[in-house]
Amino acid sequence: MVSLTPDAVSCAGLAVGYGRPSLAGLDLAVAPGETVALLGSSGSGKTTLLNGIAGFVAPLAGEIWLAGAVASAPGRCLPPERRRIGMVFQDHALWPHLSVLDTVAYPLRRAGASKAAAHKGAQAILEQLNLSSLAQRRPGQLSGGEQQRVGLARALACQPAVYLFDEPTAHLDASLRAAIGEEVARRRHADGAAAIYATHDAAEALALADRVAVLHSGRLAQLASPADVYAEPDDLTVARLTGPLSILDAPITPAAPGKSTITIGPTQTTVPSTTAPAPAGPTPAASAVLVRPDWARLERSLDGSGALPGTITEIRFRGPHTDYYVATPAGTVLIREAGPPHADCGPVRWSLLRARLMPREHQR
Amino acid sequence: MRAATEAKSAAKAAAAAKTTAAKAAVAKAAAAKAAAAKAAAVALVVGLIAALVAVPLVSLARIAAGAGPTGIWRALSGPQARVAILHTVAVAATVTVLAVAAGTALALAIERRPGRRRLALRLGVAGPLVIPEFVLGFAWSQAYGPAGLSDRLAGLTMPGLFGPAGIIAVLTVYGLPLAYLAVTAGLAARADPALERAARSAGAGRWTVLRTVTLPLLRVPLLAAAALVFVTAAGSFAVPQVLGTPAGFATMPTLVYNDLAFSASSAAFTGLTVVALALVVLVLLALGPLDLWLARLRPSARPESPLTASTARTAVDHVVTVIVCAYAAFAAAIPMLTLVLTALTRGPGLLPVPANWTLANFGAGFSGGGGVALLRSAGLALAAAILAPLLGAAVAGLARGRWRGPVATGVTLAYAIPGSALAVGIIIGYGRWLDGSVTIIGLAYVAKFWVFGHRPVQAALDRLPPGLTRAARLSGARPATAVRTVVLPPLRVAMLTAAGLVFILAFHELTMSTILYGPGTETFAVVIMNQQDLGGVGATAALAVVLTAPVVAVGALATWLTHRSSRSARRPPITPIFRNDRGLTYPRRR
Repeated sequence: MVSLTPDAVSCAGLAVGYGRPSLAGLDLAVAPGETVALLGSSGSGKTTLLNGIAGFVAPLAGEIWLAGAVASAPGRCLPPERRRIGMVFQDHALWPHLSVLDTVAYPLRRAGASKAAAHKGAQAILEQLNLSSLAQRRPGQLSGGEQQRVGLARALACQPAVYLFDEPTAHLDASLRAAIGEEVARRRHADGAAAIYATHDAAEALALADRVAVLHSGRLAQLASPADVYAEPDDLTVARLTGPLSILDAPITPAAPGKSTITIGPTQTTVPSTTAPAPAGPTPAASAVLVRPDWARLERSLDGSGALPGTITEIRFRGPHTDYYVATPAGTVLIREAGPPHADCGPVRWSLLRARLMPREHQR
Repeated sequence: MRAATEAKSAAKAAAAAKTTAAKAAVAKAAAAKAAAAKAAAVALVVGLIAALVAVPLVSLARIAAGAGPTGIWRALSGPQARVAILHTVAVAATVTVLAVAAGTALALAIERRPGRRRLALRLGVAGPLVIPEFVLGFAWSQAYGPAGLSDRLAGLTMPGLFGPAGIIAVLTVYGLPLAYLAVTAGLAARADPALERAARSAGAGRWTVLRTVTLPLLRVPLLAAAALVFVTAAGSFAVPQVLGTPAGFATMPTLVYNDLAFSASSAAFTGLTVVALALVVLVLLALGPLDLWLARLRPSARPESPLTASTARTAVDHVVTVIVCAYAAFAAAIPMLTLVLTALTRGPGLLPVPANWTLANFGAGFSGGGGVALLRSAGLALAAAILAPLLGAAVAGLARGRWRGPVATGVTLAYAIPGSALAVGIIIGYGRWLDGSVTIIGLAYVAKFWVFGHRPVQAALDRLPPGLTRAARLSGARPATAVRTVVLPPLRVAMLTAAGLVFILAFHELTMSTILYGPGTETFAVVIMNQQDLGGVGATAALAVVLTAPVVAVGALATWLTHRSSRSARRPPITPIFRNDRGLTYPRRR
């Protein structure tokens, strides 16, 4: 089946980098209206990829297509100003010599609007973002959050087909982060543009995106929905990047389809499980059990049937929930439960609700 | 019993009060002492500025004012002075426009792209700075003038070389690197590539970005560069002297020199002080307000960001490379090569082929006390190179807070005052004690080049994170130890740089030396100029080579070392303080 609307962004066999590829063999398609999060640690090539899509770096290999037309290929690069891309930069990149109003009017001026019309359009965008009171200020007179919202307003003024966000909240505190995230989601739903959002924050990526592209060691490690990258990571690196986890070292025997029996100390438990694909190369000798903090539960009584043994060694209250670190014969497991602490350090019974079986990583 | 206890406790309380009071008094005394020391230090710096800058200027003004308003008017409106003022303003303005335009264009073309050839291109642009003005002017006359190399080889001479066109061309060669360096620094400090990228994705083309983002961001460095170029061109003596005087084209500095050298009347002396003072006013009008304004702007603390990646623009790259190479060859390489050939060739009319080579010109040049003058120049330059960074560090370290701006401006103005005017002022102010001595020349050097000891040290000091000394103090260092262990080491490279710069400038100095020297205190540059006056072309060329060669060699070595250290320092993202720690300039201590 052939889709009638071309992808907003599509990368094929793409390698980007400065001299040496920092990302290679990348295939990624973003549909109109879709948000894809690029999740990776610093240095994983997120920013380089965004710069490639924006047209600031020519690819070393492969192609970038925008709205069904080739935009970048080795030695051939559509200039950035003709790509209909709006970018929000990590360090805001606000022009120090222009006021907020002139900054937001800038893309409109470049699109050919008269000065008055551009100011009027900019004024309207600033009103939408509740920034009208800052119109005459210079970037130096704005707080970090205000600067980032002005950066967002400027990207909106480009009326782009694709938004690129380069860790826009990296320098902001938690509450501003949430506010910017909401604003981004609302904007995108309003105008139906595609968005690519680079971040190193798993929570942000999972909350914002329709799909998450996990980047590490110079390649696209996994591309899936937020629920899938969280629950079914392909390897341990992806698992670590996408949220908190525990790894248990326990013998596994297959039970019914989609279920496995896991032996922890003297006790056996059978839980729904999925298995990660085996990596190429020598078959790993054993599997490890990956447990997300919400996949296990503390039992209220010490003698629950089928419950597993353990000892709470550490309790961390985190506001909406509490983290319990439980030492078990198979290793420490992190269990997250809602509300303030309701157990004390000491012996405890716990049960496993589900598990992901991972091929063990090669010895380093 | 009770009474005894009470008495005891009372005594204790009294003793406690006494110790507290004593402690407070000690603290107060210490604070007062520190304040007094600081005040004394500030007074010392201000006093030195007064002695080196204010006294000469006031002396100049006193003599000029002695002529009365009509005298001043007559001196300024006389045909000679009027023409010289007009020439100076026209030449300096033209040079400023040409140098800033070309320097900006080249900096934008070269500095925004990665590439290994950038160092060579930078050297091609900035290289002429290490050639003394007089030497380059003389070398141009030998290369492109009548009976010069190009004339003899191809029958080509540069039209107007002796006159305004030649003066403007050579002065532009000196102004261009100043503008280039200012724009380069501005690009690194202000023009974050993300700002230009934001404009590109906002729909602006390459040229629109240049017009609406890059150039506006560079406004301040460009203004500063323009002022600096104007001041340098207006105050230049050597180039107009060697290329203008033979054609009867006078500027204010050459008028001052020739009046001083060739007329003995006191009326003429008053006239020349008026012209010198007018030159000072001209330069201060161009620079003074700007420097005060710039001093108020906070230094931008933006970290250096990676350069914009170029998308395949090799064709443009090649064109820029060819332009810079052709320019460097025409402006510096061919004239300097001609100079060397002239120095090695037996007679002025002979072709510079090996059959005609000789070292006799060097012997002739050094026959009349040239060797002693060379040693004298080296000694003077060394003294200035030691004193200027120390005084510069004093200004940078002591003058803080509200003193900072005015003191820095005072030091800068000392440089901006044209050498001719400063030298005449120093003669009037200190001549009755020091006339014709080496000391008076050294005094002039320190006054003029103080700013080069100050600026690098101040810049290095501004780059230090504010917490450094506090952290050292909390780690147990006394104030002096803190300064010695954590502030001075990162400043050492800046002070060495300053010393090297001052040495070169002082070694090459001609303008003030020609006015201040007496019998037996000629500097080497003065000997060369006098040799040229006598018409000994070969001997002049030989001495000019000797004056230029050591500095070029040291400059090449320093460039190589900094290039090495910057290259090795670029890899790990380290704090700027330690950046200079790498490489040979400054070996790391174990």
